Amino acid sequence: MLRRIDTVAPGAAVNLLPFPCASCSGRPSQRKGLLSALRVANSPVVVDLSGCPSLNHEDIDLLLECMAQVAGRDIQVIFVAGSPANRVLLEVTRIPSLVPVFNSVKEALDYSGIAIHKEVNDQGMNQSQEFGSA
Amino acid sequence: MELGAFVVVPGGEDLTAIREAQPHDEAAFRNARPPYTSRVPIVGNDVLQSWMDRIRKLGVQSLWLTSGRRDGTVTRAELAAFARQGVERLLVIKLNSYAEMDLTDLLHFHCENGNPATEAHDARGQLGVFLLDQLALRTSGGENGLTLASKDCERKPYQFSGYAKRILAARERQELVGDALTGACAMRPFGKEIGEQVWIGEGVKLASSARIIGPTYIGAHTIVRAGATIGPFASVERDCVVDCGVTVERSTVLPHTYLAPGVLIRDGVVDGGFMEHLVWGTVADLQPAGLGYRLPKCELPSQSPSKTGTNATSQGISSGWNFGSCSAASTPWLQVQL
Repeated sequence: MLRRIDTVAPGAAVNLLPFPCASCSGRPSQRKGLLSALRVANSPVVVDLSGCPSLNHEDIDLLLECMAQVAGRDIQVIFVAGSPANRVLLEVTRIPSLVPVFNSVKEALDYSGIAIHKEVNDQGMNQSQEFGSA
Repeated sequence: MELGAFVVVPGGEDLTAIREAQPHDEAAFRNARPPYTSRVPIVGNDVLQSWMDRIRKLGVQSLWLTSGRRDGTVTRAELAAFARQGVERLLVIKLNSYAEMDLTDLLHFHCENGNPATEAHDARGQLGVFLLDQLALRTSGGENGLTLASKDCERKPYQFSGYAKRILAARERQELVGDALTGACAMRPFGKEIGEQVWIGEGVKLASSARIIGPTYIGAHTIVRAGATIGPFASVERDCVVDCGVTVERSTVLPHTYLAPGVLIRDGVVDGGFMEHLVWGTVADLQPAGLGYRLPKCELPSQSPSKTGTNATSQGISSGWNFGSCSAASTPWLQVQL
């Protein structure tokens, strides 16, 4: 269930987790798996809603739980809406003001890759600044 | 020359609803109906009424109203029936646009050019307004008489350069709302201006902590609960309930809609449980996620015993209408005395 994808940044990886929608069979166990994967994740997590044709209130509930699992830790969670209708629903719930939302996994990976790159570059800058000041 | 007027309401709307001047019939309380039918009010205004006012200025005493197909097609049989009744010239309006058109000017153009049929166009094409002489009424062939007649019209259409919007397209509808709110067109919001570019209809209940940012319109009997923000460029039509913490921005909420606490409606048109995003063109179903739904009739704010007045009269729609009987049992037409 948990897939690790290497990104452009050396040494960094993103966890890609499929989102179990309410209509899926075996949803309770998948739900548990998703939440525990989020709890133990130590790198950015992309939650992919592509398998959900439409979102209902239980799905929105689970998305909020996903956000709660990484709250207070330095782990970025990213949602992939998977369909334009899901994207609209996420906007209506205001989730994109808390968590980045993208239309496709590729966009999400590009974003997280850039974000990680930026982080690495920022650290590099700090080091060189420190060296310079020394 | 006897001039008749014929207005086609696209979308197969129930004529009973038209007769009772209720833009929403019983079926409208289900989400299945197509969004933004031409009878759904725009900042409290009925577009049919605006066309009727223009027709009245032509000196026409009555008009025929029918509920057409979704595209407003008029059949040959319908047109021929007018010719048989002795109508020598017929103004046909498909109710799919709002246009600030001087119909007298259209009539002059038609007479000067001597065409059997004239169609009004604007820069973006057809406006659904036709003038047909008896010859065109009789000779229109095929199933779709008016479309064939319109081919004649294309030779020399009446070019309208004034204000016009297609009201069945979500984006143009929202543009019309914005223009009505800012005074960029002749349509004005139907209500009382309580602040700068803020209009409310009668019986509106606003929580003291609700923020209303102009330009904005809130229709009659709508309830706006605590912490909600409406505007700018928002129109919440009549009989809606906007729950706590909702934000409505650059959007329209159509009548009888409930919005759940905290939702954000931005760049959209919400009709009951459905929202069309104006930028992405996507329609999403809000209902399964509990974000919005169409209020059942018994839950409408205006049905509450504490309210006074009726929907139709409060919207100024039914006043002055005098309905006659249908022209024939087989043709669902309605004669309206202007």
